[in-house]
Amino acid sequence: MTAPTGDDEVEPPGSAPPGSPAPPGSPAPPRVRVTAPRIPVRGAQRAGEASGSSTTDATGATGGTGAFRRPGATGAFSTPGAQRGADATDEPDASDVRGVYVRSLIRSQLQLGLVCAAAFVLATTLFVLAIVWTPALDESFIAGVPVSWLLLAFGVYPLALTIAALYVWAAARNESRYRSLAEEP
Amino acid sequence: MSPAVGYTAIALVAVVSILIGFYGLRVSRTTSDFYVASRTVRPWWNASAIGGEYLSAASFLGVAGLILLTGTGGLWFPIGYTAGYLMLLLFVAAPLRRSGAYTIPDFTGARLDSLTARRVTSTLVIVVGWFYIVPQLQGAALTVRITTGLPSWVGSVAVAVIVAGVVAAGGMRSITFVQAFQFWLKLTALAVPLVALLIIVNGGAVAPELEPAAAFPAGAGPGALDTYRTISLMVALLLGTLGLPHVLVRFYTNPDGTAARRTTLIVLGLLSVFYLFPTAFGLLGRAFAPDLAVSGEADALILVLPDRLVPGPVGQLLTAFVIAGAFAAFLSTSSGLVVSLAGVISQDLLGGSVRGFRAAALISSLVPLAVALITESTGLAGSVGLVFAFTASTLCPVLLLGIWWRGLTARGAICGMLVGALLSGSAIIAVPAVAAAAPAWSAFVEQPAAWTVPIAAAVTILVSRIDRARVPRGVDAFLARLHVPER
Repeated sequence: MTAPTGDDEVEPPGSAPPGSPAPPGSPAPPRVRVTAPRIPVRGAQRAGEASGSSTTDATGATGGTGAFRRPGATGAFSTPGAQRGADATDEPDASDVRGVYVRSLIRSQLQLGLVCAAAFVLATTLFVLAIVWTPALDESFIAGVPVSWLLLAFGVYPLALTIAALYVWAAARNESRYRSLAEEP
Repeated sequence: MSPAVGYTAIALVAVVSILIGFYGLRVSRTTSDFYVASRTVRPWWNASAIGGEYLSAASFLGVAGLILLTGTGGLWFPIGYTAGYLMLLLFVAAPLRRSGAYTIPDFTGARLDSLTARRVTSTLVIVVGWFYIVPQLQGAALTVRITTGLPSWVGSVAVAVIVAGVVAAGGMRSITFVQAFQFWLKLTALAVPLVALLIIVNGGAVAPELEPAAAFPAGAGPGALDTYRTISLMVALLLGTLGLPHVLVRFYTNPDGTAARRTTLIVLGLLSVFYLFPTAFGLLGRAFAPDLAVSGEADALILVLPDRLVPGPVGQLLTAFVIAGAFAAFLSTSSGLVVSLAGVISQDLLGGSVRGFRAAALISSLVPLAVALITESTGLAGSVGLVFAFTASTLCPVLLLGIWWRGLTARGAICGMLVGALLSGSAIIAVPAVAAAAPAWSAFVEQPAAWTVPIAAAVTILVSRIDRARVPRGVDAFLARLHVPER
């Protein structure tokens, strides 16, 4: 829940490309916000940041930029990408650049999915704990059923739906960003 | 309860399903029509069909029964069944649609470039499917016994025969129509009786058997949740949904990845609405029919409650609604499973022809029928929960890693699937023995997903890392196909 909102806040600078593609060779300064050295290929690094910035920023608060360095669960997924980057040469030929765009798209979609899943688990856990820790809910009844039961019975679905809707929107945005980058001449 | 009501409702649903199935036969022409309806199904149709297929006996009867039996512990089942679609949306829906494969074995075979990985996946898919059909047939047996007084086996045999016939005749295209119809039938079949019962109960015509405090004791409330069991159940339901064969095959009928995502979102909404009703039925049952809270009988709550609260013709009409919905649930889930199993069996063993598909449809219905006839149901939601745990430990890690991690190798996938199958399978089999020998440990075998899924995933990753020289050569192109938007 929190992450997509954070994503929302950073959207304006990142959402410029679809309408007005930045001139090739001069990536707009506002987009180079992620300063970590991510891929050991110079050309690749810029491109990766340009299209990956959205979700990287979305997770930035919780250490999303560190996904590459973090050896945890996300690390298991993203390290191969980094190794793959090492195989690439310094020549930014067309297919190579496209590969970088694709890897960056995959990475941002994965981060988006993980953030949404974590948000759902966290929100549900907090919701249940709040119910458990408020004994008054067991004592008050609506239509003969304790409020605590009603909340647990019907309260989690809106959470799941909200996160799902935000995800569909954000995933489509990642894709349109990829498209605008990949279809640049 | 009058048997005539039961006969009429069951016969009506069966006839309508068969009619729609044969209407579809006129449209199904090519092999591709049979398997994935030529990928022309629109999101709303598709979402209704997914919902229709997914809402099984466990959802329709089992959820209310479990809430009656265990209290808030039962509330987690519908939450997990729904949230599983959230995970499906986040990690699987669009990439899997873009993979261009027909079935899960198609996917692993193509992704890992390995015939062995494909065969192992096929075997697991078939096992999962068979054990998922069994509770549907048991639900049918229960419904027929309760509502008509006929022997239980009549229900199982009737559902198996209808499903085999419709699937063999019409294939997937007709099944999409049948499934979509059955979702709305199931929703209406619970909504109308529930609203009627609520109006009657609110009018004060019937007094509850138990006072609120006795019907909803704190000992069965949210505060009394068993943390390990709840977490493990949620792992099983959230991740198990990803690997269910009949769920995945339906995604191939979306026109593109974006439509697959939109479809999943709609499914999530449809399920959220649907589960309001069995949950409310379960809560009503706790106050108005506490005597049904007996293992094995509790699943009949939804069938019995209308007639109890409203004796007379109105009650019989409401009962007919519920029976029709229940039968729609058995038919739709079983036929969805049979379609996907028949797809797997015919492609891997019988050459992928239409004739092979028909033969495979027969095999896929008869084996579970035999199992259902020789075993006894102990609770529909519980046995379906075990299937989810098994799926989450076997197919889910391979699917997730295959979509998101280029380092997955065939050996890693095979080892992970086998370890997951071995661990979760033996845990499920060991339940009675452990309950007798070491009751303190029984939670760990009754809800194994919390430890079997991480172990299976870890084995998959570890073996793949050791085996990293064998990462398939075309993996980058394959992953690009999964994730790059179509146009």
